[in-house]
Amino acid sequence: MAALGARGCSAVPARLRALWGRHARRGFAQDAGEAKAAKPRPAFTDEAVQTLLYKMTGIDLHKVFRPVKKELKPPQYKLMTEAQLQEATRKAIEEAKEKLIMPPVLDEREPIDDVLAEDKFLEGTETTKYVFTDLTYSTPHRERFIVVREPNGVLRKATWEERDRMIQIFFPKEGRRVIPPALFKDEHLGNVFQQDRHEDVLNMCIAQFEPDSPDYIRVHHRTYDDIDKRAKYDLLRSTRHFGGMVWYLVNRKRTDGLLIDMINRDLLDDATSLISLYHMLHPECQSAKEAEEGKLKGVDLIKVFVKTESQREGYIQLALQAYEEAMATSTAS
Amino acid sequence: GSRLLKGYRGGHVVIRFALGGCANRPFFRIVAAHSKRARDGKYLEQLGCLDPLPNVHGERVAGLNLERLRYWLGCGAQLSRPAEKLLGLAGFLPLHPMTVTGAERLRQRRQREQQVGTAPADG
Repeated sequence: MAALGARGCSAVPARLRALWGRHARRGFAQDAGEAKAAKPRPAFTDEAVQTLLYKMTGIDLHKVFRPVKKELKPPQYKLMTEAQLQEATRKAIEEAKEKLIMPPVLDEREPIDDVLAEDKFLEGTETTKYVFTDLTYSTPHRERFIVVREPNGVLRKATWEERDRMIQIFFPKEGRRVIPPALFKDEHLGNVFQQDRHEDVLNMCIAQFEPDSPDYIRVHHRTYDDIDKRAKYDLLRSTRHFGGMVWYLVNRKRTDGLLIDMINRDLLDDATSLISLYHMLHPECQSAKEAEEGKLKGVDLIKVFVKTESQREGYIQLALQAYEEAMATSTAS
Repeated sequence: GSRLLKGYRGGHVVIRFALGGCANRPFFRIVAAHSKRARDGKYLEQLGCLDPLPNVHGERVAGLNLERLRYWLGCGAQLSRPAEKLLGLAGFLPLHPMTVTGAERLRQRRQREQQVGTAPADG
């Protein structure tokens, strides 16, 4: 995926920056210099992009607050007036928004390759290497010193995998294991996808790996590919992973399946947001130019998009026809 | 008198290894303690740990709380020789001269054994 945004850290919304902290600040500062002449490419964290992705995610309260396997307690019934019920629903929506905050989408991290000292005369004294971790409580994990003294006398900085392991040993985080579970290997992901447990795998992946580690990115891409292949977009709708999936698909121009799914479920607003996101990311494509000239909205926008950009025109036309017939019959009756 | 509040005559703060673990399974805690205390007895503060046996990935794991180490060194703590060698290997202190000497002696001994090995084969 091409380097993310050039807008600098001011474009990151305040609540996301508070959550993502260093990731957001560090990832985008590098590209601030380039691409100032051309229009900057929209990043995952821009307000406009986030609003579109958030709208498409949808809020299905029944799915967000679906029972997590916990201790069994008998259900509680409360007697409420209309006003109290509205108040409770409003609070539930607030909490749902908390749960739907999207995890960060970052580039893969560069491997660490730094030698601090070479003491060749130490060769042959030891047989195994030493890994030294700085245990100062107040340093952030990203700045922690973790060095390795090899048996050949070289003192080098630890690789990312060694770093993650050591930090988990000394500062254990809940839900994370020192050695990543075998579930995340490619051959075993297939089993998980058979059981339609994409969301669980993604939640486990977020707990286990750092957002810029190659394993995190690989698992996420595999999951999105599988969902796209089997057109099971509804599994992730109303979860916090939906935005990431849409971002991935739109960047690779594989939006047809998603578009058909949305039209079949009568989610025209989501379809239009998807197409506007596509135009934001690929402003040079033909449908984007036509849409800008004509200032199209709604079904017209979809039709223009379908004619120029999609591969599965036939299916989308059929779906649109079915939708319009359904609209006609419902308004007639 | 009371065994809890021990008062010493002389003695100083040292940063040394306290041995723990089980039979055939050592584990060291890097500790700041009074020099007159027992090796595994009451210490002032634990500054880290060292696992001398290699783990699954073939590495010997050591943790060092460098901030507190700097504090105690600033307070005038002494270091034991193994602690100095470990910090030399870590890069916090310069390499201990005995590490270098030990490496040189090992190399010479291996060379002598090799020569002794080849000489009877010839003769």
